Amino acid sequence: MRLGETHRPVPGLRLRGLVKHFGAKVALRGIDLEVDGARILGVVGPDGAGKTTLLRCLAGLLEVEAEEALVLGHDLRGDVTALKSELGYVPQSFSLYRDLSVHENLQVTARLNGLFGDEFAARANPLLERTGLAPFVDRQAGALSGGMKQKLAIVSALLSRPRLILLDEPTAGVDVLARDEIWAILRERKHEVLVVVSTSYLEEVEDCDLLVYLDDGRAIATGSPAELRASVPLELYRAWGDEPRAAAAAARSLPYVFASRATGSHARIEVRRADTPGTERVIADLLALPERPVLVAERMAIDTESMLLSLARGDRGGNGGPPGPGTPANAAPGPGDRAAATSNRSPGAGASP
Amino acid sequence: MSTPDAIIRAEGLTRRFGDFTAVDDLTIRVATGSIFAFLGANGSGKSTTIRMLIGLLTPTTGEIEVDGVDVIRNPRLVRDHIGYMGQKVSLYQGLSVRENVEFYAGLYGLDAAALRERWGALSERLSLRDVEHEHPADLPAGVRQRTGLALSTLHRPRVLFLDEPTAGVDVHNRALFWELIAEEARAGVTVFVTTHFLEEADYCDRVCFIESGRLEADGTPAELRARWSQGYRVRLAGDAALADAPDLRRLLERCAPDGIELRRTPEGVEIAAGQLGREWLRAVGDLQRTHPSLRVSVDEPPMTGIFRALSGRPA
Repeated sequence: MRLGETHRPVPGLRLRGLVKHFGAKVALRGIDLEVDGARILGVVGPDGAGKTTLLRCLAGLLEVEAEEALVLGHDLRGDVTALKSELGYVPQSFSLYRDLSVHENLQVTARLNGLFGDEFAARANPLLERTGLAPFVDRQAGALSGGMKQKLAIVSALLSRPRLILLDEPTAGVDVLARDEIWAILRERKHEVLVVVSTSYLEEVEDCDLLVYLDDGRAIATGSPAELRASVPLELYRAWGDEPRAAAAAARSLPYVFASRATGSHARIEVRRADTPGTERVIADLLALPERPVLVAERMAIDTESMLLSLARGDRGGNGGPPGPGTPANAAPGPGDRAAATSNRSPGAGASP
Repeated sequence: MSTPDAIIRAEGLTRRFGDFTAVDDLTIRVATGSIFAFLGANGSGKSTTIRMLIGLLTPTTGEIEVDGVDVIRNPRLVRDHIGYMGQKVSLYQGLSVRENVEFYAGLYGLDAAALRERWGALSERLSLRDVEHEHPADLPAGVRQRTGLALSTLHRPRVLFLDEPTAGVDVHNRALFWELIAEEARAGVTVFVTTHFLEEADYCDRVCFIESGRLEADGTPAELRARWSQGYRVRLAGDAALADAPDLRRLLERCAPDGIELRRTPEGVEIAAGQLGREWLRAVGDLQRTHPSLRVSVDEPPMTGIFRALSGRPA
């Protein structure tokens, strides 16, 4: 598959049958991926799907097997020294010099990349301004908040103007304002650099130009967020009422309902396209549920959450994992367990001597 | 401190580190059996507050009571009443899941029979039975988090403190994890939880935001939306004729007294409301029943926007 058109001659990624073993364990089972030009490629998928391994392969950190494995035109199966000088990589657990200041940390990176004096300042200062780190340049890196540390790592990775930047969950545990700033930087840079980023945040998945969805070491879906949403074989409904949990439970009684789950103010109900009796009928049925838990029902477009859950369920068949959220198997705990838990409420029962 | 059904009560909690005030006169109450979201930016004082609530850090001033225990006077006693799980789940890498469980059970003083019964139920409910002989390093993040939840609830604590339990966990396992949290709450356990996935605030009964160690907002998700967002937009679109239907006019009349705005649009009408109301929702539902072709769409203000609005306020 060929994704997107070339903005300028940035040779991106060209992978065919990329395989990575760790001993007997196969982490990547043959990844095909072709991405041209500067853009944001999101790597998504369940925990353990191979996202981190793929990023480490792209960073030239692992020996790989493949029919083709070109990153920025460099073959991952050969000498990757040149590749490494053209990319920035921020792993999940990156290392900053805790005892050095923000400025000193960047200086170390700059020197490693042969950047000195005015040239260093000319690159570092706009990035520091952009990330809101400018007022903290003299603070020790170890004293930064989690979000600021992440921003420093990203500034550091961008300092040498790489053509490829690899970010492994750069916003895990980061608050929404810092996430906004990090993504603003990525969006600004995406015309000159290919950004490959893994994330678990729904709104960040939505912000990617392209997505590759990994599951069990395979790339099972590739495309823009809109393309992947359109490929979901489900209809999504929302039911609004006083008791979303009751609405979700009642909706499961409809024979064609595939999954149903309550969130704060409404129930999300999924119906397989193959099973749907039609939008009007579904809405009428939801409104007519016994005891009327649904006051208003609507059909909405498939959103990122449904898209990811659907992709996750699609290949989750036989690995012994838990059933999907909202399926009847997730009903309340058994009576024995509940009784035991409730008995804990009696005064004094919770405290041991 | 006289709210009888509050299992966590913190009054005027302040913690200074030298000149720096990490937590500033914070008062919070958490209702028994509720799910309480404790939100704030990185560095806003969340972790410092949690460390005080679980007896690991003494406040500079203030009072704390958790499940009837005066935490400041009896910081060790409170640990029998609470479970704690952090973002980095503490599992012994050299031990299997089951061995980790046995180790923690020993710390909690569970005897073999109690452990067998408790782990039997927990491993079933948290889908951990198949992995009990695996080692933590081999487990995906979602399974490790469920193991962490099992360990933190082994001794049947009345209050669970979960500090970013879903950080770095995929959407499927997050949804599953929140089902489990809801089950704990239905069984009477109080859950005090932090997260940066703001959509998760909607699984909580009450949400509190702190900024620079100070309480900025405290309310149900609906109350926060009413106060800190543009509110709901409900669009009704259908045949042009519908705009003149008597039903719709009645709807207009029924809604107007509630301070709900109703605008005509080229497609039909748009309702703007600070919060969802049973009356007008029912009226919209009645319209849906009588006009099956009516298209309804509800815009709910996202929690991320509320967080931005709160964080953007001058301190």
